[in-house]
Amino acid sequence: MIENAQLISLSRQIALQRQMDVVANNMANINTTGFKAENLLFEEYIMPVARDGDFPRMDQPLSYVQDWATMHDLTSGAMVQTGSELDAALNGDGFFTVQAPAGERYSKSGAFQLSANGTLVDLNGNPVLGTGGPIQFGPEETGIQIAGDGSVSSSAGAKGQLRIAEFANPQDLKRDGSNLYSGGVPQAATNTRVMQGFVERSNVSGVSEMAEMIRVTRSYESIAALSQKQDELRRTAIQRLGDTNA
Amino acid sequence: MKALYIASTGMSAQERNVEVISNNIANMRTTGFKRQRAEFEDLLYQQINRAGSSTSDQGTVVPAGLEIGSGVRTVSTPRVMSQGSINLTERELDVAIRGEGFFMINLPDGRTAYTRDGSFERDPDGTMVNSSGYALDPGITIPGDATTVAISADGMVSAFVGNDSIPTQLGQLQLARFVNKSGLESLGDNMFVATAASGPAQVSVPTANGTGNLLQNSLEMANVNSVTEIADLIAAQRAYEMNARVISGADQMMQATSQLR
Repeated sequence: MIENAQLISLSRQIALQRQMDVVANNMANINTTGFKAENLLFEEYIMPVARDGDFPRMDQPLSYVQDWATMHDLTSGAMVQTGSELDAALNGDGFFTVQAPAGERYSKSGAFQLSANGTLVDLNGNPVLGTGGPIQFGPEETGIQIAGDGSVSSSAGAKGQLRIAEFANPQDLKRDGSNLYSGGVPQAATNTRVMQGFVERSNVSGVSEMAEMIRVTRSYESIAALSQKQDELRRTAIQRLGDTNA
Repeated sequence: MKALYIASTGMSAQERNVEVISNNIANMRTTGFKRQRAEFEDLLYQQINRAGSSTSDQGTVVPAGLEIGSGVRTVSTPRVMSQGSINLTERELDVAIRGEGFFMINLPDGRTAYTRDGSFERDPDGTMVNSSGYALDPGITIPGDATTVAISADGMVSAFVGNDSIPTQLGQLQLARFVNKSGLESLGDNMFVATAASGPAQVSVPTANGTGNLLQNSLEMANVNSVTEIADLIAAQRAYEMNARVISGADQMMQATSQLR
């Protein structure tokens, strides 16, 4: 029984360590353009073998804790005006589509650049996709404009429309690093507007992450104290019970 | 327990952010300076429980995966190449560019540098040079007895030589423009060189091909906005502090572990 109690606290400690990793990653990305905070979900895991309902006084089921999923917090981050004509922010649920080496990826980060041959690219040089493929600018064009619906134009006229993807269940998306997401079934955007000259900052809230971190460290400490108490309990039991007066 | 290392990537990213911001603020009054911006990206994710993997024989799947990130990195510090404000200086060899172009400067090592800083001088031979003494490309020599040098919007340099009553044309300035201005490499001294990312320079006379026109007697100020820089500095400093707190929190957790017996 005592061993079970210690294993239960261990399951909680492992989960808390992982939660600390999630908090640390959110905090590290507090200034990352287009970053979306992660939340860790826990669930109760009921130990089936420790339960026995056949005895007159039934055993209590043992419940362990298990980290189950990380949810993307997809609320929008602060919009910051940058004054750069190649920056775009998305107001709504949509994602930009970029052509990464491994296939199409989705991103909330609209800090774009031009490549040496005039293609609109993200910070890693992946072409940003429009509805008709990458957006291409000629060497002598000026005055790049991105309209609210994602249409891009310059002094040489219309250049296509940014492909904005929305997802029925954005929680399906997998994080690939480099501000990119993969997976999911993209649908044409219906309620997303593009804002030129802005970037969307990370939506990580320093205050709530800090509070979360304090909660994690404190509950970790209290669980550690609990394990220690159980250890003492067992030691005392061994001393008392093993002490023979024969 | 990756939290320690994750938070340390956060601290080093914010440290770099503060470096970039302080360089912008230091160059607030530098002619032709273009501010930089630190851009960050999240690192790889450890997929512990993948979204979409099956949870039963009935075809139910995991609705959301379990992904643990591993921190942040600084991916680039692109320059924001927006137009700086124009300041009237009343010096006849001060030229500002209103548009996309760059002046071309011949470096002593034979390369060509590009600059938005149009504060030119005359060297002892009368050649137009920048503040480091490097000659402008194409070279323009102003005779010693020339007066009232005029530089037109399309770069034509003319002056009254000696007692002439009509101005003599001394040459025409040219401007270079790039497909990707942010891809230029900074040399310091307000100068840039072309890279594979910027693409080759496209040289033309001012006002043609979107290079922009020239304004004599004026200089382009830095495009640094002090308010946004200070706001960014505050945000960076607080982010740094919060990452430091995460490190001490992770340390407390490890301490609690090591005190277990």
